[in-house]
Amino acid sequence: MSNINGKLYAMNAITPMKPWKTWILRVIFFLLWHIKSKQQDLINLSFIQFARWVIIPRNRFPSLSSGQKQETLTYDYLLFFSNFNGTWNQYIDAFSAVLSTGLNLIWRWSEKFPGSVPVTGFKEYIARIQFDTDYYYTAYPEATANDTKAAHIVQGALTTLATQAAAQTPEQFQAAYLQFLLAVQTHLGDTGDAPAVF
Amino acid sequence: MPNQNGRVFGLTFLCPILDDETLQISHDLQIRDYLATLPTDERSPFALAPGTHVARLVVMDDVIYVGMPAHEEHLASKYLVFETNTDADLPGYLRTLFDAIPQHIDAVWSHCTGYPGTADFDKLLAYMKACQIPTTFFFAAVNDKSVTETLLALQTQRAVAEFITTHQGMAPAQLQREFLEFYQALQSLPCPAAGGKLPRRVIKTGGHNE
Amino acid sequence: MSKLNATDVQGFVLRGYNMPHARFCFLHFQNAAAGRHLVAQLLGSITTGQLWDNGKPQSTLNIAFTFKGLTALELPLATLISFPDEFQQGMKDRASILGDIGKNSPEHWDALWRGADIHAWVAIHALTPETLEAQFAQLNAIISATGNIHLLGSQDAAALVIDGKLSTKEHFGYTDGFGNPDYLGVCRNTQPGQGKLLPDGTWAPLATGELLLGYADEAGELPVAPVPHILAANGTFMVYRKLHENVGTFRAFLDEWGARYGAGDAAAKEKLASKFIGRWQDGTPIELSPDAPDPSIVADPNRNTDFKFGNDLSGSRCPVGAHVRRVHPRDAFGFNGKLVDRRRITRRGMPYGPQVDPTTPQDPATLDSTDRGVVFMALNASLSRQFEFVQQQWISYGNDAHLGNEKDLLLGTHLPGEKFSIQGDTNPANPPLFCANLPNFVELRGGDYFFLPSITALAMIAMELVDPR
Ligand code: HEM
Repeated sequence: MSNINGKLYAMNAITPMKPWKTWILRVIFFLLWHIKSKQQDLINLSFIQFARWVIIPRNRFPSLSSGQKQETLTYDYLLFFSNFNGTWNQYIDAFSAVLSTGLNLIWRWSEKFPGSVPVTGFKEYIARIQFDTDYYYTAYPEATANDTKAAHIVQGALTTLATQAAAQTPEQFQAAYLQFLLAVQTHLGDTGDAPAVF
Repeated sequence: MPNQNGRVFGLTFLCPILDDETLQISHDLQIRDYLATLPTDERSPFALAPGTHVARLVVMDDVIYVGMPAHEEHLASKYLVFETNTDADLPGYLRTLFDAIPQHIDAVWSHCTGYPGTADFDKLLAYMKACQIPTTFFFAAVNDKSVTETLLALQTQRAVAEFITTHQGMAPAQLQREFLEFYQALQSLPCPAAGGKLPRRVIKTGGHNE
Repeated sequence: MSKLNATDVQGFVLRGYNMPHARFCFLHFQNAAAGRHLVAQLLGSITTGQLWDNGKPQSTLNIAFTFKGLTALELPLATLISFPDEFQQGMKDRASILGDIGKNSPEHWDALWRGADIHAWVAIHALTPETLEAQFAQLNAIISATGNIHLLGSQDAAALVIDGKLSTKEHFGYTDGFGNPDYLGVCRNTQPGQGKLLPDGTWAPLATGELLLGYADEAGELPVAPVPHILAANGTFMVYRKLHENVGTFRAFLDEWGARYGAGDAAAKEKLASKFIGRWQDGTPIELSPDAPDPSIVADPNRNTDFKFGNDLSGSRCPVGAHVRRVHPRDAFGFNGKLVDRRRITRRGMPYGPQVDPTTPQDPATLDSTDRGVVFMALNASLSRQFEFVQQQWISYGNDAHLGNEKDLLLGTHLPGEKFSIQGDTNPANPPLFCANLPNFVELRGGDYFFLPSITALAMIAMELVDPR
């Protein structure tokens, strides 16, 4: 059992919500989804590869056979799955420091959510609502979200250079090659092992 | 639709786990046991079936209420959570798993209620549909690239860095020639294995340090 | 913030003494009574943070303890286990986290750091060698009189003398001692670039709790600290690392790559050296003056730390991986520097070892093997959140800076195949350069984590009055 594979950390968290509050949260997610500018902070934070929130209404837990006992829940549940780079502490510190408003907007509908500031109470809360990952796979364990973005930029620049290169004079190529270097020079960081976890 | 962000799909399943009090080791523990020994690198079942960026399997054995006063409530069933980020929507994605790793699907899901087995794809699909929970909000940092494209890009990035460092200060004509050779060699490289470490120095790039 | 009681804080915490000579003595307590007695004897001589309005003293005295030291002093168990994990573990056991591998791993450290447990660090700073020796003789007398205290060894450090004048240079030739954070209530006057960035682009002092225990930190909380509160308040944690500098390797590397950079002449070499650190060797920030050093900036405290990287995301002025940009990214990560404010450290380092004689040429191997470098000492409220984070994530790794696994050129423990990127532009004097075959310039020779208590806490320790409740 591990929440970690290479440079990626899998977080699972579950919180109960009073059913009437679920609708408010749905509206918030709807707006967040359609107003892309609201996602900018998440993008700028740049260490989340994939993340999702899933609302499960209390009467929508899958029921597959008549033999299965019926759930008798009073709360709806909010599930959160995140795939992030870096340490657990770094992740929560960053969220608390720069995204507290957004986080609070999403989790304040959950029962007894303490708020994402102050960070110590927030961390204690997360540690308790988090449950561990039994099996975790990533296709590119040596790469962070930043690394993959960088790699795609290098790939694009390389293709551009290559399509011109054969037809160019050496002098033209030299100029194009310099432009290529400038386009990729901040995107060549090597991929590899993740630092030790702490 | 929030199950999809650009070209990437975020699929979520909650599969009720069988409850059999006569067993010595309960079904949820058997799932945990199986998953604990499954390789997570290029030998992972998900690496053998194409199209998975990131996936996790989690036994959710109960819900929790944190805070005072506690309003405790409990699940009647335990659930296997399957959270996956993929290049295809459910039918297409399930087909790749079905074709490549049926034995692993059986090994895990045979502990789940109503699981039809892997004899009939349509039954399996209907089962997974019944277990699927719509994703409410799905974020993907890179949402326009397939697994293969990303693996190739990472390979390119490493090779390009190597080419650049070994070709500094080279006369333009030779640089151009070696670049074209390099590019060609790179094009003919196979896609690196998903889930593993990228090999180092796959192409001899020429340049100063050969 | 309530007013800081500077007389309760050890002076070393509140200011760099700027004294040219220092000796760091490492002690072992045979038993708790001896340790307590020693602390009691030294208590009256410990230099506090009181301002030196009537001139500098001839010398100073400060003391700090490792976790093993506090254990040897028999602090109550409830207090001991309330110290942060990383301090309890000590630096050796954090080697894999800190990247202290290969030649830097603890089994290669100096004998002093591999022998009997070090319990205390006693630091003497002095204006002259004579006053240093006088203070040291006094300390020795107290140690002998106390009995059952072993002086395991000591480390001398001294400012380098350049053209007959005291300098703040280190052995590679860079001028140090500019960047250090301002904290609320600690600094009399603040300097742009030293504290934290505000949304309007100006700078303000950091919360006191980023340095001192017992005060609110940048998250608006009291830092994690041992109990009782009064033992922790006005104290801080110190990292001590003896960092050996391979001067021969550094010079050879600079010669090799300098010849391939820009015009390949002496000016290109000087410029390349500045790209490694982010400052010209005289201290001019290259972000402010990328083409040449500018002594007027160096001399002006309102300018010599006042720069940002937000308009240089391509790194063509200051490379994204340059030392000062890594360890203090300022606005480089966006969010008005908010991701940086809780990762700051206060440096109190000094060079050690013989100065390289510029008049007699020496071969690189001798230059490397001579015992010289930097005694790196840094203070922070949380070793793990501040120092360890900077050391691991920003020096030995590059993801936050979008550099993947690239490390700090001078400080990273480089593995075969690693490179260092220096971004450039179309100006032929400022080309991009990718250095490969990276040697290891700096090697760790020993060190540990220390707790630097307040004067009150020292008295409590001496009198065995620590009550965890
Ligand atoms: C032999 C080892 C080292 C050398 C030669 C060295 C050299 C330098 C130099 C020349 C500067 C610029 C002068 C200044 O701003 O004061 C500097 C700044 C700095 N260094 Fe180092 N350094 C070393 C080790 C370290 C380590 C291990 C860390 C942290 C873990 C560190 C953290 C810093 C910080 C925080 C600054 C100030 C940056 C700013 O505020 O702009 N240094 N160093």
